[in-house]
Amino acid sequence: MLGALRGDRVVRTIAGFVVLAAVTVAVCVALLSLADAPLPVARTVIVLGGAAAVLGFLVGPILTGTADQLDPRRFRVFGVDVRAMPWILALGALVSVPSIALAAVAVCFVITLVALGTPPIFAILAAVFGVLSLAIAARIGMAVSSLLLPERRSRELTALFVLAVIVVAFPAAVFFASLEWDGLVPDAVASLASVIASTPFGAVPGFALAVAAGDAAGAWLSGVVALVTVIALGAFWAWLVARLLTHTDRPTTTRERSGLGWFGLLPSNAFGAIAARSLVYWSRDRRYLVNVVIVPIAGVLTVFPLLVAGVPLYIAALVPVPVMALFFGWLPHNDAAYDSTALWIHVASGVRGAADRFGRLVPIALVALPVLAIAIPVSLALVESWYLLMPMIGLAASLFLGGLGVSSILSVTSPYAVSRPGDSPFQQPQRSASRAGYAPAIGFIATLVLSAPTIWLFVMTILEDDAYNPATFWVGLATGVVVIAAGAMIGGRVWDRGGERLMEFVETA
Amino acid sequence: MDDHDEQPDVASAAPAEKKAATTRTSAVRIVAARPTKKPAGRASAPRTTAAKAAAVKSASARNDSVKAESADAENKAKEAKAAAAKRAAAKAAAARAAKAAAAREAKEKAQAEREEQEAQAAREKRAAQALAEAEAAALVAQESDEAPEEPIFRPSAPAATSEPEPEPAPAPSAEPEPAANPDPEPEPEPASSPEPEPEPEPEPDAAAAAEAVVVDVHAPAASDAIVVRGLVKDFGDQRAVNAIDLTVPAGSFYGIVGPNGAGKTTTLSVLAGLLRADAGEVEICGIDQAKNPLGAKRVMGVLPDRLRTFDRLTGRQLLHYYGLLRGLSADVIEKRSADLMRAFDLAGSVGRVVSDYSAGMTKKIMLAGAMIHSPRVLVLDEPFESVDPVSSAVILDILRAYVDHGGTVILSSHGMDLVERVCSRVAIIVGGEVLAEGTVDEVRAGQTLESRFVELSGGASEVEGLEWLHAFSD
Repeated sequence: MLGALRGDRVVRTIAGFVVLAAVTVAVCVALLSLADAPLPVARTVIVLGGAAAVLGFLVGPILTGTADQLDPRRFRVFGVDVRAMPWILALGALVSVPSIALAAVAVCFVITLVALGTPPIFAILAAVFGVLSLAIAARIGMAVSSLLLPERRSRELTALFVLAVIVVAFPAAVFFASLEWDGLVPDAVASLASVIASTPFGAVPGFALAVAAGDAAGAWLSGVVALVTVIALGAFWAWLVARLLTHTDRPTTTRERSGLGWFGLLPSNAFGAIAARSLVYWSRDRRYLVNVVIVPIAGVLTVFPLLVAGVPLYIAALVPVPVMALFFGWLPHNDAAYDSTALWIHVASGVRGAADRFGRLVPIALVALPVLAIAIPVSLALVESWYLLMPMIGLAASLFLGGLGVSSILSVTSPYAVSRPGDSPFQQPQRSASRAGYAPAIGFIATLVLSAPTIWLFVMTILEDDAYNPATFWVGLATGVVVIAAGAMIGGRVWDRGGERLMEFVETA
Repeated sequence: MDDHDEQPDVASAAPAEKKAATTRTSAVRIVAARPTKKPAGRASAPRTTAAKAAAVKSASARNDSVKAESADAENKAKEAKAAAAKRAAAKAAAARAAKAAAAREAKEKAQAEREEQEAQAAREKRAAQALAEAEAAALVAQESDEAPEEPIFRPSAPAATSEPEPEPAPAPSAEPEPAANPDPEPEPEPASSPEPEPEPEPEPDAAAAAEAVVVDVHAPAASDAIVVRGLVKDFGDQRAVNAIDLTVPAGSFYGIVGPNGAGKTTTLSVLAGLLRADAGEVEICGIDQAKNPLGAKRVMGVLPDRLRTFDRLTGRQLLHYYGLLRGLSADVIEKRSADLMRAFDLAGSVGRVVSDYSAGMTKKIMLAGAMIHSPRVLVLDEPFESVDPVSSAVILDILRAYVDHGGTVILSSHGMDLVERVCSRVAIIVGGEVLAEGTVDEVRAGQTLESRFVELSGGASEVEGLEWLHAFSD
């Protein structure tokens, strides 16, 4: 453990320790404060928290890609007995900084449980089971990570993981934070917690709290699940260790593929290539960056004129998300022109139009999804109208995906001159022939027209009642999916027939 | 295209001409006579008509081998007559001038230009007897139609022996036309030339070998890698390519040369499927481009000139990109790009962004990208521009090996000596039309390719009105 403090990453390591310590203290304080809370609230919170902890210990090592100090393969050379190895390692893993933090939390867990009325013996049993299952879960996470994922994590893969976490975790966090607890557990959350308590993720705390609540059936169910879970985790861990020790890495995946960036990550075909190339350009070309940065700003800025004009905050706060979705969908409406004359590679290679169309949409999707995933819950939390979640997702999908579909057609049918690669994004392109550019306006209007049913349904949801709620979601989603599919197909067809025409455009523009 | 190659010659030749018109012109005449002196020597008779006879012989020989001069045939004929007349008058000066000619032997380019300039000057003092002489020459020409083709293969015979009959030399390009075919023959050539070509160098076995290498390409029926018929391309109201016919046999190294704006890049772009022709047919390895554009693109590797590439990718990513767009698997790309990087001496720069590459390196990596899917045909626009000599030698080796194994290369270039050295066939395109087409020996017709090119494109005779430049202001 102290060895981690040697080497040239001392600052980072110490910062990690500090953060971990702070989190541990916070969790302990929170746990202890639950001792005074009503039992149902404490039960719900602890079960959900326990499930989150299991998930975190299992997935955390995969996401962060930490090198496992106790990788079974490192000890292979010492001739340790294969059957004893898993248990030695699991025990050894308990002597680590996260495990110490875990032990601290477990102690608080026991104190809280006892205060809530769990017999001490069961409380301690639950804590031991919990610590064991978490430690083994972390081991398994690391083993799986080293088995399935490349040794050196590329930045791109890490970025993808972070995006996934944002998309999943952030809305959930905003949702839970905005709920009105008031000592009462919302029904939905309570039923969710009781379901989780009978799954492997929440079985251990579920068992202890069921005992505290005098819920014999629940206690038996959770207890059996918890026991089976620990045994299954242990067995899986033993099997993993044996496998790690007796199998070599797949030689195909260890082949040198570094230095390719996104190309190494995305599928090896024309679609993947174009997506990877677009991603590289989005991250290295200022012209794209400016576009992306402007969208959220524009979305938020629309609120102020509305507020000044006297629109109630409730309505104004719902505007930015659809506006952002609309802008994101509209952004790629001229993407072919951004390639300038380098477009010849696509034309000369005979790239299929559909592959080209879809590939170019990948970067904007990767940017827009997390932004919308954050913006939607924040916006809904502001107006405290969670019942609008589904309609809002439907509306955003319709505007965003529909916009992408329209853009896919426009970018091949009516490209217009943009500043060349390497020029300033704000520079007005100088061209011998100027063409009137209706494409941007058409892109906006077509998207709005196609999304009109969804918009109408959304407005009706706000004005009338919840009856329109599911309809808005499904109509919006269907509109978006259909339009993007049709748009990419039509755009692809135009591309297949008119590659030469596009070349003439980029060479003269 | 680039104009660096032609201009300096013109510029340097023009002032020289002005200074010593008479002595030089005669000297030029003598030097230019070199090709013809052997036939003349064989005649071995110092007759008064010997000069004319020799001229006609060589002229007709060339006429047989090169059929594409027809475009300016009439013009040339006039010049030739005038030149011949002048020559008769200037015979006395010949011996004197021969010495100067010998000294000048090395500079064949300059001579070629001067030759034309002289001809034009002579046109002004056209004499009445010119006509008579030309007619006489025509008669002789008919008799000596069977003249062998030696002149073509002896472009650099020693000038010293050429004293006896120096005059006729300039005539070859000129006189044959009125004699052999009073009416210029523009049409027959394009029509007739494509057919005979396949025979000279068919490499069926090599093509078969290539087939084995290129997996997903179905076998072309014909032995012609590229067939172009009546290709027309307009940009607005300007006609860039005017009914071009080309036939590139499989397994040949085909060069396209031409002055700036002649339509070379346009022609190659249409071949590569980057531009759509306004009229005409293009067939690549037996695949009709209009009917199956994707199939035609699949068998081609393309290196355009003056077009960007995705230069924010690293070299390695760029090659990967080329390969994936061509539908190769990642493993194959990995291996081939490593080989290509090594072959093109780019191994040290794989991780650098292509926009940081020099112009030559960018050219090389784009060429590597054009080859990565092992195409049947390589369409290269100015592949050697801004590439250093070592690299271009390497590239040439690669391309030669590729051609030896049945691949076909069609390239455009300004480097005449390079085209002359490496290409098996050449087409000279001027003003969107093919003026000469055939094997290198056929096209250059006893001259160097460069002098022939300058002659056909008619560029060197235009430099007038720059006298103020030679007066120096201060």
